[in-house]
Amino acid sequence: MSTTWLPCGTYHQSYVKDHGWWQTSFVYGKMTLLVIVLFIIIPVFCGDYLLSIAYKIGYTILAALGVQLLIGYCGQITLGHAAFVAVGSYTSAMLILYVPWPNFLFSAGLVYPISMIAAGFAAGLWSVLFGLPSARVKGFYLIMTTMAAQWITVPLVITQYVSRIGGRGHYFSLPPGTISIGPWAIDSDRKIYYLMIVLVCLCLLAMANLLRSRVGRAWIAIRDNDIAAETLGVNIVWYKLVAFFVAGFIAGIAGSFWISALYFVSPEHFEFFYSLWWVGVILIGGVGSLHGVVFGAMFMVLVEEILRNGLVAMGGWMPELMLVGKFDYFRDSAFGLAIILFLIYEPNGISYRYWQIKNYFNLWPFSY
Amino acid sequence: MQHEDKTHHDNIEIPKDLTIPKLFYQQVQNFGKDRVAMREKEFGIWRPITWNDYLKNVKYLALGLISLGLEEGDKVSMIGDNRPEGLWAEMATLCARGVGVWLFQDCLIDEVRYIIDHSDTKFLFGEGQEEVDKAISIFNECPKLEKVIWDDPKGMRNYDESYLISLKEVQQLGRELENEQPNLFEEMINKGHGEEVALLFYTSGTTALPKGALLTHHNMLSMGQHLMQVDPCHETDDYVSYLPFAWIGEQMMSISCGIQVGYTLNFPEEPETAQENIREIGPHVMFAPPRLYEQMTRTVQVKYLDATWIKRKFYEFSTWIGYKVANLKFEKKPVLWYWQFLEWLAYVMVQKKLKDHLGLSRVRNAYTGGAAMGPDHFRFFHALGVNLKQIYGQTEVAGISVVHRDGDIKFDTVGHPIPGTEVEIVEDGEIITRSPSVFLGYYKNPEATEKTLQNGWLYSGDKGFIDDDGHLVVFDRTKDVFTLKDGKPFAPQYLETRLKFSPYIKDSWVIGDERDYISAVLCIDYSVVGKWADEKKINYTSYQELSQMAEVYDLVEKQIRQANRDLPDVAKVVKFTNLYKELDPDDDELTRTRKLRRAFVEKRYEEIVDALYSDQDAVHIDTTIKYEDGREQRIKIDLRIREVKM
Repeated sequence: MSTTWLPCGTYHQSYVKDHGWWQTSFVYGKMTLLVIVLFIIIPVFCGDYLLSIAYKIGYTILAALGVQLLIGYCGQITLGHAAFVAVGSYTSAMLILYVPWPNFLFSAGLVYPISMIAAGFAAGLWSVLFGLPSARVKGFYLIMTTMAAQWITVPLVITQYVSRIGGRGHYFSLPPGTISIGPWAIDSDRKIYYLMIVLVCLCLLAMANLLRSRVGRAWIAIRDNDIAAETLGVNIVWYKLVAFFVAGFIAGIAGSFWISALYFVSPEHFEFFYSLWWVGVILIGGVGSLHGVVFGAMFMVLVEEILRNGLVAMGGWMPELMLVGKFDYFRDSAFGLAIILFLIYEPNGISYRYWQIKNYFNLWPFSY
Repeated sequence: MQHEDKTHHDNIEIPKDLTIPKLFYQQVQNFGKDRVAMREKEFGIWRPITWNDYLKNVKYLALGLISLGLEEGDKVSMIGDNRPEGLWAEMATLCARGVGVWLFQDCLIDEVRYIIDHSDTKFLFGEGQEEVDKAISIFNECPKLEKVIWDDPKGMRNYDESYLISLKEVQQLGRELENEQPNLFEEMINKGHGEEVALLFYTSGTTALPKGALLTHHNMLSMGQHLMQVDPCHETDDYVSYLPFAWIGEQMMSISCGIQVGYTLNFPEEPETAQENIREIGPHVMFAPPRLYEQMTRTVQVKYLDATWIKRKFYEFSTWIGYKVANLKFEKKPVLWYWQFLEWLAYVMVQKKLKDHLGLSRVRNAYTGGAAMGPDHFRFFHALGVNLKQIYGQTEVAGISVVHRDGDIKFDTVGHPIPGTEVEIVEDGEIITRSPSVFLGYYKNPEATEKTLQNGWLYSGDKGFIDDDGHLVVFDRTKDVFTLKDGKPFAPQYLETRLKFSPYIKDSWVIGDERDYISAVLCIDYSVVGKWADEKKINYTSYQELSQMAEVYDLVEKQIRQANRDLPDVAKVVKFTNLYKELDPDDDELTRTRKLRRAFVEKRYEEIVDALYSDQDAVHIDTTIKYEDGREQRIKIDLRIREVKM
């Protein structure tokens, strides 16, 4: 795109080429390197602990991607995203556990993939349901309706009703071997990592592609000025609902992926805190940027891990820190502090800093 | 003394009966629909036009002109920005055996009228509403003008003058004519002969009214061929056409060389976006007058001043290496391995990126000509690793006659004559040229022709000499050479270009012929000095006010001291003043190619000149100036006169 920096001698004779992603050999090299690192170096050389952090980052990316779409690209502030991830998780888990699938599907390892897609649709439709008010309300009021999605879905519908199906209490645990894709049972951190990286790449590519299409341009128009967008003939209600559907769909995928790492689902993984957490991810990463989702997720998960390890190290001489639940307080305050600091010192997020660094070298040896 | 390049003589000469249209037709057969003849940036992308499209457009346009009544030798004028339609019009005129005349886009109405009338133009191609308005206002005064053709429909809805016709309509007429006489176009092309007049070129002239130089097809083609023998171009090259077609240099690159080589011409989106568009294309060959290179230098210098500390240090270090290596090369000394390493380092660290910013990444040969370029600018580009070459030429030889060769570049010369060209110096130091490209004469001006063309030699009116290495050194226009106090000749352009190396000075005018000392009238660069003043928290409201500030005088004085360095005392600027306005071609102070019209400014600013050679420390000015939109303003101002402390 014309806004990106291109080296001298790069020009386009058609709009298709003009909108191409990989326009220069430098970008090709960079992306090849990235693929090698993500698909070979990390899974081969990292231990289980690091891999578990990596797929947690991946899960956060998938979950926050929908938030980014709604807030960062379509301007629809949402504080109930955990609800849609929960719908995805439960749909997927219940489809695996309670549907009498024919045996060949089980042996072919297709049940989990099918349930994942179904989870996407279920969460997407659930999200559209709560997106309907966005036709009439915006801003603060929309925040309230999306919070309603959170409270209705997780504490009420899931905890009170869905969790009781089958009489297992709150936990739906998934027996080993039920989560498999084709011949591969997802039973080790490395396999979870591979599943994660494939899903993250697919979702990011799909999002990036959507954003440069007619739909993406409509979303951005709505975000920038919904009245102007409507004047220009953008059907804003329709495109807002599409945004809610796509955001919900990706949330469903995220939820469905997460059961492969947890082997069980319970409502406590989808509390209101997570809805806030993912908004924090995009605030810190950068609103309105796909890079921002990745950077924000990495930042949040890594800070959490560093904090956890720090507390464990301090636990030797301050044993009261090790009490159950103490960590959450520390994590929450660190999270709050990080957001405050970012809003003051880097209000455009890490992706803006990344852009500035790129710019620093693109403009070399000048400053503008 | 005679100098001729013997190395290329066995090359095939252009046959006398070859014309530009014939060559064009051949190239279309060669390249057809697979290769792009030209691109125009429109709505953000570079729309390609293949050779087949090119031919189709030219063909119907040519036939349309014939159907409108164009006959052999009729003049067709063109005015407008660089765009494919302009070139089609020119090529169509040549195919229909007419004679093309180009006007500068920013010509004032009087100049347009003079040229249209003097050239007996029958058809005028204008780009859009602006040009059509000009044409309408002069139509009644130019009785030979029959039709005005436009191609940009913006704003043209309410024009109903019977002599206006759109390019599309002309092409439609051409299609109808093709149905009646299917082979007419090819027949017309085959009838042409190389000795026929192709273009009538009005020289901008620093002294008098424009003169129309008659150039034949053979002039143009042999010119292009000889230049290509020195620096071959390839059909895969890109060239950006953004300088006025009314300038011979652009014709030389777009037509003489372009048609022969078949490289792709690229037209920028708008004149304002030219610099950015050049960067996108990254041309392989460039030819521009010095002012464009001066502008680039100024941009770099200003951006350097505004860069952060680290970036400045990197820049300084690599520039230091660049200058060292460039100097070694200029002196033809070997570049030792550690210098080569440092050169590579400087390239990787800064120069690669810097060239990228300037759009010079892929440039194989960059030429400058049309006016003198200062050695400082010249060294600057070589320090950057840009193969910048001086050329020397004029409209009357269809372009250029002398150029630097690779690896044999001296920044105070213009190089060796191109193949097929003889250059000599007559007794009084005037440069004379003989080559197949020398023009036929001036249109309707036998006296001037007689003065310029003697026994096949072209008298240039420039003074110069040939140095020990056989390089031609152009001193200055004969009438512009100064005699200093000590009796030595001196070229004011040399000092003027030195002064212009400062980013704060946009134009300079040096006075001092047969006077006690040299003084200068300077025009500050409004944007650069303005920015400098902003940073210093100096308030100003206009160019006039800013130019007269004491702080600005201090700044300018510093720049002059810099330029004065290493000059003999008699050649140093002693007094200067900042002019209250920029020099402008619209005020006749510069030619359209931005050469100073010395005699004119000396007369116009007589009181300033007088004041510079008296004891006054200010001069009162009371005058009116003309703006581009025709408004006039009365100006009363006291210009300071400052003596430079040595």
